[in-house]
Amino acid sequence: MYADYAYLIVGLPVLAFVLCLFVGWHLPRGGGFLTALATFGALVISLGIFSEIYPDKIIHQSMPWFANFNVGILIDPLALVMLLMVTFVVTLIHTYANGYMNGDPGAARYFAEAALFTASMLGLIYADNLLQLFIFWELVGLCSYLLIGFWYRKPSAAAAAKKAFLTTRVGDVLFLTGIILLYNNMASLNLALKPGEYLLQFPVIYAHLAEIPPAQLTLIALGLLGGAVGKSGQFPLHVWLPDAMEGPTTVSAMIHAATMVTAGVYLVARMFPLFYAAPHGLTAVAAVGAFTALFAATMGLTAFDIKRVLAFSTVSQLGFMMAGLGIGAAVGTMAVGVAMFHLIGHSFFKALLFLGAGSVIHAVNTNDMREMGGVGKYMKWTMYTMLIGSLSLAGFPFFTGFFSKDEIIVIAYEYGVLINFLPYIFLVLAAVLTAIYTFRMWFSVFTGKERSNYGKHESPMIMIGPLVILAVFAFGFGFAAQSDFYSYLDSNFEHYDVNFEELSVIGGHVLAGEHGATEAATGEHAPAAEGEHGAEEAHAEPWYIQILPIIIAIGGILTAGLFYWDKIKKFDPSQVTGDNDPIRKMLLKGYYQHEILTGWFAEGVVYGTALICNTIDIKLVDGWLNWLSAWVMGFAQNIRKVQSGVVQNYVTALVLGIVVLVVVISLAKEVGLA
Amino acid sequence: MIANAISLMIIVPLIGALVSFFAGSKAKFVALLASLIPLVLSLQMYMEFDKTSKIMQFVESYNWVPTLGVKYTVGVDGIGFPLLFLSTIVTVLVIIYSWGETKKPNQYFALLLLNEVGVLGVFTALDFFLFYIFWEIVLIPMFFLIGSWGGPRKDYAAIKFFIYTHVASLVMLLAIFALYFTYQLPDGSRTFDMLTLLQATSDKTIFPTSLLNIIFAGLLLGFLVKMPAFPFHTWLPDAHVEAPTAGSVVLAALLLKMGGYGLFRVIMPMLPNVDKAFVTIIAIIAVLSIVYGAFMALAQKDIKKLVAYSSVSHMGFVTLGAVAFTWMSIQGAMFQQFSHGIITCVLFMSAGTIQHVVGTRVIADLGGLADRMPKFAVLMMAGFMASLGLPGMSGFVAEFMVLTGSYPTLPTYTIIVVFLSVATTAAYHLWAMQKAMFGPILKKYMNVHDPHSYELFSMAMIIVLTLIFGIQPGLITDMMGTAATQLMEPVVTLTQMGVI
Amino acid sequence: MIPLELNILLASTMFTIGLYGLATQKNGVKLMMCIELMLNSANINLVAFSAYLPNVNGQVFALFSIALAAAEAGVGFAILIALYRLYGTIDLDNINAMRW
Repeated sequence: MYADYAYLIVGLPVLAFVLCLFVGWHLPRGGGFLTALATFGALVISLGIFSEIYPDKIIHQSMPWFANFNVGILIDPLALVMLLMVTFVVTLIHTYANGYMNGDPGAARYFAEAALFTASMLGLIYADNLLQLFIFWELVGLCSYLLIGFWYRKPSAAAAAKKAFLTTRVGDVLFLTGIILLYNNMASLNLALKPGEYLLQFPVIYAHLAEIPPAQLTLIALGLLGGAVGKSGQFPLHVWLPDAMEGPTTVSAMIHAATMVTAGVYLVARMFPLFYAAPHGLTAVAAVGAFTALFAATMGLTAFDIKRVLAFSTVSQLGFMMAGLGIGAAVGTMAVGVAMFHLIGHSFFKALLFLGAGSVIHAVNTNDMREMGGVGKYMKWTMYTMLIGSLSLAGFPFFTGFFSKDEIIVIAYEYGVLINFLPYIFLVLAAVLTAIYTFRMWFSVFTGKERSNYGKHESPMIMIGPLVILAVFAFGFGFAAQSDFYSYLDSNFEHYDVNFEELSVIGGHVLAGEHGATEAATGEHAPAAEGEHGAEEAHAEPWYIQILPIIIAIGGILTAGLFYWDKIKKFDPSQVTGDNDPIRKMLLKGYYQHEILTGWFAEGVVYGTALICNTIDIKLVDGWLNWLSAWVMGFAQNIRKVQSGVVQNYVTALVLGIVVLVVVISLAKEVGLA
Repeated sequence: MIANAISLMIIVPLIGALVSFFAGSKAKFVALLASLIPLVLSLQMYMEFDKTSKIMQFVESYNWVPTLGVKYTVGVDGIGFPLLFLSTIVTVLVIIYSWGETKKPNQYFALLLLNEVGVLGVFTALDFFLFYIFWEIVLIPMFFLIGSWGGPRKDYAAIKFFIYTHVASLVMLLAIFALYFTYQLPDGSRTFDMLTLLQATSDKTIFPTSLLNIIFAGLLLGFLVKMPAFPFHTWLPDAHVEAPTAGSVVLAALLLKMGGYGLFRVIMPMLPNVDKAFVTIIAIIAVLSIVYGAFMALAQKDIKKLVAYSSVSHMGFVTLGAVAFTWMSIQGAMFQQFSHGIITCVLFMSAGTIQHVVGTRVIADLGGLADRMPKFAVLMMAGFMASLGLPGMSGFVAEFMVLTGSYPTLPTYTIIVVFLSVATTAAYHLWAMQKAMFGPILKKYMNVHDPHSYELFSMAMIIVLTLIFGIQPGLITDMMGTAATQLMEPVVTLTQMGVI
Repeated sequence: MIPLELNILLASTMFTIGLYGLATQKNGVKLMMCIELMLNSANINLVAFSAYLPNVNGQVFALFSIALAAAEAGVGFAILIALYRLYGTIDLDNINAMRW
């Protein structure tokens, strides 16, 4: 029943977009309630669909579009959990935004764009083919551009918006290349497609992966990874994400933490069989993810804009998810479940943290943590909900982050045993830093003395409400859902014609232990909880590996406390580092990425090339033309002197000419030539 | 079914042009009426058009100069019809956009209508003689539009435009004569009939490859200059910068399409029979046009020049898709013609509106206009997004089809284009947008405001069209698909089709 | 009857004088007179040959030619008068507005 209305999941937000755009200006709060209601409607439909198809059905609807392409809806476990998460989190954020954006003259524009964003994100999730996914992917990018540049009068916001669009566009170039390669490889197989099947549909791609040459698979995988790197803010295309904090905080929460940036991870998860089959595909994913996780965490350590800390944290956590998927090289499809679980859990606590930060900023009117301190006295709700979010992010035992993030670290160990320990080491270090920077933020915002004269009031209930709901999920989701989630997502690729054993040979994988191998090879799983627990027991990592994440989390929090919590403060940050410390400078500058990518590459290389082209165009391509016309003009200038305009000259010339002719002809007659 | 629909479409604007010339201040009403009739006719034709038929439709054929083999033959298929449709739409919108023209409005609107006559003729003529006449007719109104209503360097621009494209047309004319004088009908007479001549080019005994190469090169030059392709593009920025807004719109939306139309109608049927080196040459020209155009656009300081170079870049996709010669790429290239035709309108209208509202087009002198011109900013943004290939709008579909379709035959060139142009294209659009529209409003622009509603209306209509054709490209790609299939097969003459 | 040779001699003399005048004179009226001389030399030729052949056609042509010459002179003098009003001179060297 609900499945028949699946199209409304995108349709309702689109409707809200249109309404807000055209009539939002006349509605209270810019028509924000429309957007929130539409998203809520999508949530209801998603829940309905969940109740219908859980645990073993999928929905696939499709219709032809143009040429060889189709539009369609594919709701399988992977898509369903994303749909539920996005509709849920975004509904809360839209509700919150009704309070946060109250009074902004551009509220209608905000809610229109937010609705369009919601629609695009949802369309991206349940697209049944790669082209459609790419289309919504780009629309998501557009909305991100519009929303980051929401306060377009601010030059920094306009610049950040452009940077975000362009950086992700660089990733999209690779993504597009991947799609073109994939399409043409699929086309060259000359498949006998059944009616309703199209080359870029996921089920069709999955079924024929083994027939594509492995070298091509690797190229395609790298292309798609490039897209994911751009969208999910992985190194080296992460530079846009911290700048994206120029947008309203709700945008940061919605787009740059909970939903849009996860699209890259989702893409890799969606195309997991392809990455799995491509030799080195998952290795590249793991490398990018693990490096980014640590790289971004180091920058999070020094930032003093509260939103930038969270932004770097997002980049780092997305790195964890990527690494989790990459580790699939060692553990097979289980990696999808692990990574997606972190994705979902992360969106709860990161949305919570951003909304909390928004609540703080809304009250104190600054982003700079150096001007805050002791805010907790005035904002109890915000403080405690953010504490839950921070504990979850830091991976404190029994919070969601503990179940999700630490699972990635644990399976990274397996990857280490089998293939390479580097990702594991990077992830462990990143986890330590995560705990430290998270609590550096929390302590320096909420505890201690007031460092400036800021606004002191708690935010309205419309903003607190979503915080509380998110806090519940940030705390309990991991504990409540982990095992069911893993088994549900593990079943995802059973719905398709994927032969992981064959793909594993193409990709050259050695799986961890027998269990992993059989799991991947046969695609059969013990139902429900046994699959996951079975896996853990089968591998039985050493106890210190299991326990390490807990130590990391508590140790990190304590370290942060020793520096920043006035109750137990033992050290001052200045004892470790000073303003002139080159490392600190480098971290504050974000490893000079901005200077390299924007300053050197974009403005130097690209714009420089453009200027050179311009010179060539003026001097050479147009130059020869102007030279030619100038030459013709000059020649004509000279030759027209002959045309004196004095008729007598002409007459004389005429007579002389006749005389010469007569003489010549007579002479010719004399000598007998004529 | 309206008899003689095409002739009617050509004649009505012609009469309209004469009437509006003498209509004084009422000219705009006459022009609107005279341009609406072809639009209605083309909509009617769209309804009746058989999208799956490979046969020329709405054919009319009359003897004109029988002793020379010249006939008045017009007809459309999947190649011509989308452009015919485009021409009628764009002309109406341009006339609406120019509603407030005060300088010699009677001549202005008459020239716009005369221009429509020319382009409609080019897109429908099936006789080389007729084709060439219409091809040249188009030059005249555009020359006067630039020369009379243009900017400070209008004389230079108008003459450059005229001479450059005219020289190229003359080369094309020589090639047409070569075709004409080489081929004889079985009864010994000669003909200008396009399809008959094109079919004959596949006969190696009549057209040996060495001769055909020369003819081909001549025709190709004529079309590439018109498109324009690197390195023959330099007349375009000058013409655009100096032309009045309506002139720019018509120039970019319709005149450039004549070159692309020539590629499909004339060049592609000959392509299999000429030297294979031509494929490489055209592919290189296409790639250079795309990439070089994009980089040039990035370096421009004048927003109109930026848009002009973006046209060079976008028209390169047409060349690339055509020369790649796969079913998908040909369709994509045809759709790019249509899509660029509508998108570029809104870009030039934006540039024009900025010019007459603010008084300058230099990007560095603008800033924060979105603050005072919100509606305009939204439309301009939508246009720029469409132009940079945002999915959901027609440009993306076209470019995606070209790139996907070109990969099998021209893999290296395609990848170069993707890598060097996609991000660059986004860069110059966004850069211009940011500098011109965003940021704090400059003091001197505190008093500017949204332009007239008729200007906004034209822009909005175009955005709606880009959305319609971006979301449902099948509306027009279906007939292009048929045409693409047909282009990959040998040419069939009208007699063989059984239409005359 | 006067021999044909003399007629031709007279005609060619007149023609040469006219031609010389046309090439050397600057005054508009003088130029007109030279042109008249040349025209009339042709007329003499026509009439002379007509009488010599004998064939009346030549005389008809001569009459035509006289009529045309009259018309030409009318237009020519009208132009000269207009020029005189405009420039105050009919010296053709001074009338060079359209010259480079």
